[in-house]
Amino acid sequence: MTENKARYRTEIQQMMFVSGETGDVSPETTSIIENIVQQQVMEMLKRATELASRRGVRTISTDDLIFLIRNDKAKVSRLRTFLSWKDVRKSAKDSDEKGGGGGDAGGVDDFDLTANDPTLGNGPAVGTRTNKNKKAKVGLPWDVASFYSEQVPERDDEEDEEEEEMNAATLQRLKQADERTKGMNAEEYLHFSECRQASFTFRKGKRFREWAGFGVVTDSKPNDDIVDILGFLTYEIVTLLTEEALKVKADEDALKRESGRDEEKRGSKRRHEPGLFDPPEETRSPVGPKHIQEAFRRLQRPDLKSRYMHHVPKGNWQRPLKLI
Amino acid sequence: MSSTPSRSLVNGYHRGSNGLIASAPRGASMTRESAIGSSLGGTGSGGDDEDREEDPIHLALKQRWETTQANIAALFSDVRPTLQSQKVPGTTPETITDTRAETNAKTSAPFKKAARTIDDDYGDDDDDDEEDETDKESPLKSKGKQPHVNGISPLTGRSPAPITKPPAIRTSTTMSQDNAKPSAEDARRQLEMEKKANADAAKRSFQTMFYTLENDRDAMLEQQKLDELDREVENEISGDAEGNQSNQQNASGTGGTQGSLGSADLGASSLTLKHLIARIDAKRDMVQASDNQLRTLISEVRKGRSKWASEEKVGQEELYEAAEKVLMELKAMTEYAQPFLQRVAKRDAPDYYQIIKQPMDIGTMIKKLKQLSYKSKKDFVDDLNLIWSNCLKYNTLPELPIRKKALYMRKETDKLTPLIPEIVVRDRAEVEADERRQQSLDADDDSDDDDAPIMASRGHKAPKKGSKGAPSSARQALPTNVEDASTPASEVKPALPLSTSALRNEFLRADSETNETASAGLSTPPPGSGTPLVNGVSSVSIAGGQTDPMDVDGTGQSTMIATAEDADEDDAEFKTWKQVTKKDRATIAADRNRLFRGNQLNPDEPALLRDKAMMRRWIRLQKVDLTDKSASTDDVKDGAEGTEVATGETLAEGIEEQHDSTLPDYYHTMSAIPALDDCWKWATDSEGFVVPQSDKWMRMYPKNQYKSAEGVLTKRIESNMRQMQDTRKICSKIGIVKQMQIQGQTYSNQFQKYDPEPFLEKDIGPVVVSEDGPLMTPWVNRAAMQRAVGKIFYHAGFEDFQPSALDTVTDIANEYFTKLVQGLKAFQEQPKIDAQTSRFTYEEQVLHSLDENGTDIEALESYVKDDVERLSTKLTVMHERMKSHLGDLLRPALGDHVGADGAGAFNDGSDQFVGGDFAEEMGEDFFGFRELGLADELGLEALSVPFHLLQNRMHNAYQAQHQGPVSDNGIVFPQPAPYDPITIEMLPRQIGIIQDFFRAKLRTNHENPLVEDEDLPQKQRFPKPRLPPTGKISSPRKRPIREQQQLAKKKRKLEESEEKSKLSKPIGPLRLEMPDRMQSGVDPEKDGEGNASMMSPESITGH
Repeated sequence: MTENKARYRTEIQQMMFVSGETGDVSPETTSIIENIVQQQVMEMLKRATELASRRGVRTISTDDLIFLIRNDKAKVSRLRTFLSWKDVRKSAKDSDEKGGGGGDAGGVDDFDLTANDPTLGNGPAVGTRTNKNKKAKVGLPWDVASFYSEQVPERDDEEDEEEEEMNAATLQRLKQADERTKGMNAEEYLHFSECRQASFTFRKGKRFREWAGFGVVTDSKPNDDIVDILGFLTYEIVTLLTEEALKVKADEDALKRESGRDEEKRGSKRRHEPGLFDPPEETRSPVGPKHIQEAFRRLQRPDLKSRYMHHVPKGNWQRPLKLI
Repeated sequence: MSSTPSRSLVNGYHRGSNGLIASAPRGASMTRESAIGSSLGGTGSGGDDEDREEDPIHLALKQRWETTQANIAALFSDVRPTLQSQKVPGTTPETITDTRAETNAKTSAPFKKAARTIDDDYGDDDDDDEEDETDKESPLKSKGKQPHVNGISPLTGRSPAPITKPPAIRTSTTMSQDNAKPSAEDARRQLEMEKKANADAAKRSFQTMFYTLENDRDAMLEQQKLDELDREVENEISGDAEGNQSNQQNASGTGGTQGSLGSADLGASSLTLKHLIARIDAKRDMVQASDNQLRTLISEVRKGRSKWASEEKVGQEELYEAAEKVLMELKAMTEYAQPFLQRVAKRDAPDYYQIIKQPMDIGTMIKKLKQLSYKSKKDFVDDLNLIWSNCLKYNTLPELPIRKKALYMRKETDKLTPLIPEIVVRDRAEVEADERRQQSLDADDDSDDDDAPIMASRGHKAPKKGSKGAPSSARQALPTNVEDASTPASEVKPALPLSTSALRNEFLRADSETNETASAGLSTPPPGSGTPLVNGVSSVSIAGGQTDPMDVDGTGQSTMIATAEDADEDDAEFKTWKQVTKKDRATIAADRNRLFRGNQLNPDEPALLRDKAMMRRWIRLQKVDLTDKSASTDDVKDGAEGTEVATGETLAEGIEEQHDSTLPDYYHTMSAIPALDDCWKWATDSEGFVVPQSDKWMRMYPKNQYKSAEGVLTKRIESNMRQMQDTRKICSKIGIVKQMQIQGQTYSNQFQKYDPEPFLEKDIGPVVVSEDGPLMTPWVNRAAMQRAVGKIFYHAGFEDFQPSALDTVTDIANEYFTKLVQGLKAFQEQPKIDAQTSRFTYEEQVLHSLDENGTDIEALESYVKDDVERLSTKLTVMHERMKSHLGDLLRPALGDHVGADGAGAFNDGSDQFVGGDFAEEMGEDFFGFRELGLADELGLEALSVPFHLLQNRMHNAYQAQHQGPVSDNGIVFPQPAPYDPITIEMLPRQIGIIQDFFRAKLRTNHENPLVEDEDLPQKQRFPKPRLPPTGKISSPRKRPIREQQQLAKKKRKLEESEEKSKLSKPIGPLRLEMPDRMQSGVDPEKDGEGNASMMSPESITGH
């Protein structure tokens, strides 16, 4: 798997940068992250295939994938938004050539937070948005709408409060990004927005398919949507890992300061006081593999629900990988 | 007989007064007897001796007369020494009446004696019933007079007593005897009290001690032996009862009729029961019982008279009563008395009768007692002692247990013998003779009072001394004693005439009150009543001497007894208990034992029944236990009786009197059952119907336990479900509309009407449970669980689901809840920190067990928030959306402004008018919208034709057949008469040019009337010819769709078959006649393959 390590190094670095790791991340770290992401993706594909085969279908559908993350409602919400925007973009592309590469336009509109798709940053033009906005809502099999035999069009005046709530999480993330970009100059911001577009899948479908084990784990001809969803999810994974690792590192640093205060007191007392000439942030040591590992461990920690029925005798039973 | 001398004596002595008195009572007592007496003895009283001697009646009368004479003489003789002056006015009429009263009082005052006197008489006579009457009357009269007489002349009042008593008695009264008399009574009383105390102690010990039943078997066996003995004795007695009876009667010297009950010596009973007795006598041959039995019966009926009472035997009753009591007492000490109950069998001790010449045992004694063989206390006591001495004589080895028993029994005997009065049974005749003699003696020398008693007593003293002098030969003493008693018995009392006393009057009065006391007073009691035994033995008195042991000297014996008792008395309390309760225990044990045959229960044996009295006793004791445990037994008893009287116990209303048992409660196992509550009683009302004890007494399982609890969440969920149902209803309507838009033809039965039943949770029926707690019926509980799961399913959006899914989820839920509760229990049962505080509070317990099972409050809360509340809003939104969508689908023109009849739609001159929307006028209910409920839903009463129908999709062919409800609208035009169908008959009326055409058509139609094209079903209809703009018909006319298909398919087929098939097709009318109401109610989805076993919550709720 050595060759795998190199595959998404840049993307991972970019994603980590967007997620808050400003430092130069070592290849070991990225390779660890890449492995983790790959494992997660393969696991997802495997489970989705199982679900599909349970329905009697060979190829997995988007619903299968979404079903896997159904418990993370915020993520589902983001994914749905993403998918709906993807639809919009596609139709816009179809109707006229104006939309072009959504990715190109996306970065520019970043300040329009409310209207923009935050995750990929490639929102279409304002004009297109207005009439196609609601169309793209992706129905899920466990939605209320599926209770009924008839599908009825949504009404414009309805506001899905659930969606609103989920948007809140998204907004929080956008706000963070906004804070970070506030102090940036144009160049830096350009770099930032480029980094935001980093994707495992975008325009590298073949590489991704090989990397994720399509054809081995599951059907070799995946749906376009599935690849997009996976791309979205991998981005989410990396973000999550990075954020967690940063937290781990912050904890570690705090601990170090606590314990190592006495030693460093004499030499570097001044350093703790923020000053005008403090070294820039980059000089901080980036997250290392151990932080990533710790973050992964924390994320894998079984939640309460997994204890449900764990009294049932089941032999030597390994806890399944937790999708993050 | 001594009658002759006494009579002559009286006659000779008191002639004057005699004549005076003799006439007086006869005149006064105006009875038949006296009449007879006067008629018979009117002359005889003058002194006709020869006649009387022959006639028994005369004899009796004479005797009676003489007795009276003697009595009167005694009276006067008595009066004379004390009141000499009164003798002179005694001849005055007043004294005559007085004396007459006296005379009667004489027979009555010593009441029993008088009765005996009478007995004597009717023993001779057949018709002495009448005589009884008079005699009964006279005592009554005299009784009434007695106080009066006493009041006038107290001294004369006292005087009758001496008449009955020989003067000897009077003389025998001394100061010491006066003291001795009460002391004897005291002794008896003391003994009684001792016994009572023992019983009480035993009873008390129930409270502190639990006695096992191990001794009951012995007790039972012993008791059985006793009973056997009794039976034996009874058999023997009754065997010669007749003979005995007659013997007795013969012995009394009268040749009375045998078998006549009246002649049996019933004592005073004959007075009170004389009618009964006369009756029985009259029917004597019909009564099965022997005289003996009858006598026993009657004497038992009578109060205060024992079966031993006898008229001709003076003192018999008292003696035998006491003797029997003593004997029974001794017999009851089965522990010790057992070996002495029966005669020693020869096979048990072959040499016994060589050593013991005079065997004796208790059984024999009872026999003798019943045969009235004992004449005096001495006889009886001698026999008793004979038993013990025999035993001691035969069993010489000192360590033999039987010796111990004998010694114990002797000790007991000594204790008890003082209870027996010192009486020698004598014949009445003798007594009377004595009296007379005494009288004459009195008459002879008034002043010489002392002599006569001494003389009289001499005869008594001699045998007694003799018996004392030869104590070793007690066996011989028995018969001789009897003889002694009979032969020298010239006195009623074997008194010790020690000295004359000035106090004799007082004593005599006491004497006259009751013979018993008199006799007791006369007997020489053991001086110290507290220590009767030893003192009695060592006392110098004659009585003490009588009880002296034969073989052993007094002191030695007493010491031996003491040691023997000590050896035995390891547990005094237990022993007491054993003795006191022996009989009861034996009875109960025997009762129980009867239930067994061999070692098995005997099913034929009647069951032991509980007994109301015992139950009441038990309840009482329970109550006492409850109320006052510390109260002493006496108090308890009193109090208990008090309460018992006060509170009519439920069980024991008006039952037989309480027989007190000495046994503790647990001996009466059957009775130890608490009283029933009112509710359990079998009660009937006045008409005899059973009053049903209302259900409230039954422990019903509380209602609504099998329904979901009323709560916010439940209500929310249920409202969600209702919302879903409503929305589904709209959905089905939308589906119908959409279907109609697509389909060319629609039929009213094509669409499934969605009419869901409301959710109803059924409770279980009334169930009676025996205890609180959950109902342990797995299937019911499982069904309830399934219902809950089904509800959740439905709430999650599944309209129906497979049973296997339901089962699986039910199992999982079951498992989960089991774990949850187990966890809760485990946390609850954690060892406590200290006595009060448990380790976990309730909240902690719940939280811990929830956590253990992978959930927490937040998860539950989020479920409620997301999956219930938010779902509710979502459902509402969806419902609104569906409704508006349906509204969109339906004709927007038919809004509210249309009005009830749709006429409003024309107001704006709108499309309907132009488009020819006259469906209303046609009165149709297209597609059964009304039936589907769409019209009501949407306020579309006037809805008749959906917009797409205006595009000529549907033909109006229905119109003729369809009898839809006609909506009343403004203007109703009469329907134009339909064209007459073309028939063969009508053919000539048509214009000529098309007649051939029609004829050909008719022929193909089998001469049936032709159908208008318009009336043809859709598929047979010819397409409307379309004229192209050119106006030329270029193509040949198309065939109807149906025909085209058939032609294509069945080209090869014959014409006939084609036509036939055409006819048999389910064409329009046929189809439309198909049931247009959805009676089946079957969901088409459910009809589908694999759906047959689908279920929905509605069906589950019916569980």
